[in-house]
Amino acid sequence: MQSENGFYGQYGGSYIPEILYSSQQQILQAFEEAKNDPKFLAELNKQWQQFSGRPTPLTFCANLTEHFGGAQIYLKREDLNHSGAHKMNNVIGQGLLVKRMGKKRVIAETGAGQHGIATALVAARLGLECTIYMGAKDIERQYPNVFWMKQLGATVVPVTTGAQTLRDALDEALRDWSSSHEESHYLIGTSCGCAPFPEMVAFFQSVIGNEVREQSVTQFGQFPDRLYACVGGGSNACGLFLPFLDDKDVEMVGVEAGGKGLELGEHSIRLSHNLGQPGIAQGFATMFLQDDAGQLQETHSIAAGLDYVGVSPIIAHLADTGRIKMTYAMDDEVIAACTLLLKKEGIIPALESSHALAGAFKDAPNLPKDSKIVINLSGRGDKDIFNVAKAVQDETFPQFLTDYLAAYPTHHADNEEQNA
Amino acid sequence: MSQLATFIAEKRQQKPILSMTHVVYGYPSVEESLSWMKRLMQEGVDFIEVQFPFSDPVADGPSIVAACHKALEQKLDVETCLSQLGTLAKDFPESRIVLMSYLNPMYRFGLDKLAKRAAEENILGLILPDLPIEQAATYQAACKTSGIDPVWLVTPVTPPDRLAMLAGQANGFLYCVARSGVTGHSVHEGKAKQTSLDDYLAHIKQHASAPMGVGFGLRERAQIEQLIGKADIAILGSALLDAYNQGGQEAGVKLIKDLFH
Repeated sequence: MQSENGFYGQYGGSYIPEILYSSQQQILQAFEEAKNDPKFLAELNKQWQQFSGRPTPLTFCANLTEHFGGAQIYLKREDLNHSGAHKMNNVIGQGLLVKRMGKKRVIAETGAGQHGIATALVAARLGLECTIYMGAKDIERQYPNVFWMKQLGATVVPVTTGAQTLRDALDEALRDWSSSHEESHYLIGTSCGCAPFPEMVAFFQSVIGNEVREQSVTQFGQFPDRLYACVGGGSNACGLFLPFLDDKDVEMVGVEAGGKGLELGEHSIRLSHNLGQPGIAQGFATMFLQDDAGQLQETHSIAAGLDYVGVSPIIAHLADTGRIKMTYAMDDEVIAACTLLLKKEGIIPALESSHALAGAFKDAPNLPKDSKIVINLSGRGDKDIFNVAKAVQDETFPQFLTDYLAAYPTHHADNEEQNA
Repeated sequence: MSQLATFIAEKRQQKPILSMTHVVYGYPSVEESLSWMKRLMQEGVDFIEVQFPFSDPVADGPSIVAACHKALEQKLDVETCLSQLGTLAKDFPESRIVLMSYLNPMYRFGLDKLAKRAAEENILGLILPDLPIEQAATYQAACKTSGIDPVWLVTPVTPPDRLAMLAGQANGFLYCVARSGVTGHSVHEGKAKQTSLDDYLAHIKQHASAPMGVGFGLRERAQIEQLIGKADIAILGSALLDAYNQGGQEAGVKLIKDLFH
């Protein structure tokens, strides 16, 4: 979606410290040139295909469709990307742009670690130095992802300011960029931040919706009647929705994280029920969860990838205009949706994507039997093994962890022995 | 002529360089921050730059970030802050107060109202580092109506034509950021080559008719001396906060005396 000077209605824009002006201008220009350069686009398509495994399938869910007895349910399988999530689409695109600009280093923020891993993967492949900022609390909760980032050669910096989560990681990445802008690119993971990041990330993610346009016509002879996507930062929703914007018959539903409840601090609902307020922070204008004094507030979701305090200015604008209908799913509904997909279709969804499932499952029984809905399965759930085990109260898991820990070589000498 | 610029010109008749000292409002408590501001003005600093805290201060380094977060453990109110600063401004007519914050808390308060209320409390300058001049038309107009000055920042990497534009818009003073990065000591250290500070300031001077303030990374007397004749105000932020954190008001005052006397 084209912006007007970086704005989408009242949202978006560029509100960054003066020190970043030149770097931002460089990205604006590089992106403008790249997206119109057939060679760049050919390379992008090649990398999407050969490194990430695109196109991803559109999978019909016969059992779920029968279970609900309403709409015919299809999943767009972004979980089958390399790295296990749609994040890869954007990182490959921005990675190629970094090479084009001749920069040697990338900085990224990450919440759950999915964007951090995707960035570390691409940085390794493109020979770029890579620094990932991650809240100290998120590092505790998502250590397996941190482990892989480090193994991939990235430097992972724990952010110990504020609430020590994604928002603080983003602030710290901006601070790094303020110091290192001449040799570093800030590889933002979602369609947020100053212009042109929202537009650029949405552009790279739009491969999702563009594929669905072709696949839906091939597989069931029409465009979908309705699309569902979870909305954290908003990049997977932008990716699925934007290519259908002008197709007025295609309805769009964005699902935010209802978390544990509707009190401030218990959820990440920014775009419905008057819970978010317009604000300007972290480089752009959007709906933020904040108090009446304009201080940004804590958020919660069982899915770490959805508990962001702001949201894509593109999604905020389309929600304002009514083009996208916004709803939310609570933590327990999300676990139920995740479990249902596992049992009925043999697919392990990420908890983020399970919000989209939960939103769609509520509507599915009431939709006509000949209607077709596409849910963006933005990521796979392997990463959520600890959280899901806890949520379903798996009895064996704690014993497994205890045994594993007992057998884990903690001394240097033990390591030597094992390596010998 | 700008009230701020006039004040600076008059003061500069007596002093080779003026001091601007930074204080985070509400740190470690509202009471203590006000007491610290009062002390600084008693000690004869020419300006205090008061930062109204924001939860996400992206242009600041660790010292100021930590102070802002500590300050926000209590509920802070812009209106209360402005009237308290107004009292200080009355009590210390030999010094001036400028207010610094980030856009969001000020946007919530209302930028028009902010300009009006600041002027009423004799706060003559406003610094909002995340409001670029391109988005600032109504804010500029509001400041103009109220007779106070928005303070714009220029940096060593600001392109020449943009620098000329920003310098041309500056009235009260132009904030010249001395180096890349955020305020104070930080793990983020710019690796890029930089032109010398002297050349940078000389270049700005060609375009700026307004007085020039220099900040970011000042902590030693030699740095202040280097600015004499090239700038009008030396802005002391994180270094002062670090001293205050280590030895309270006395340590802070000692640093100011070491640097400016």
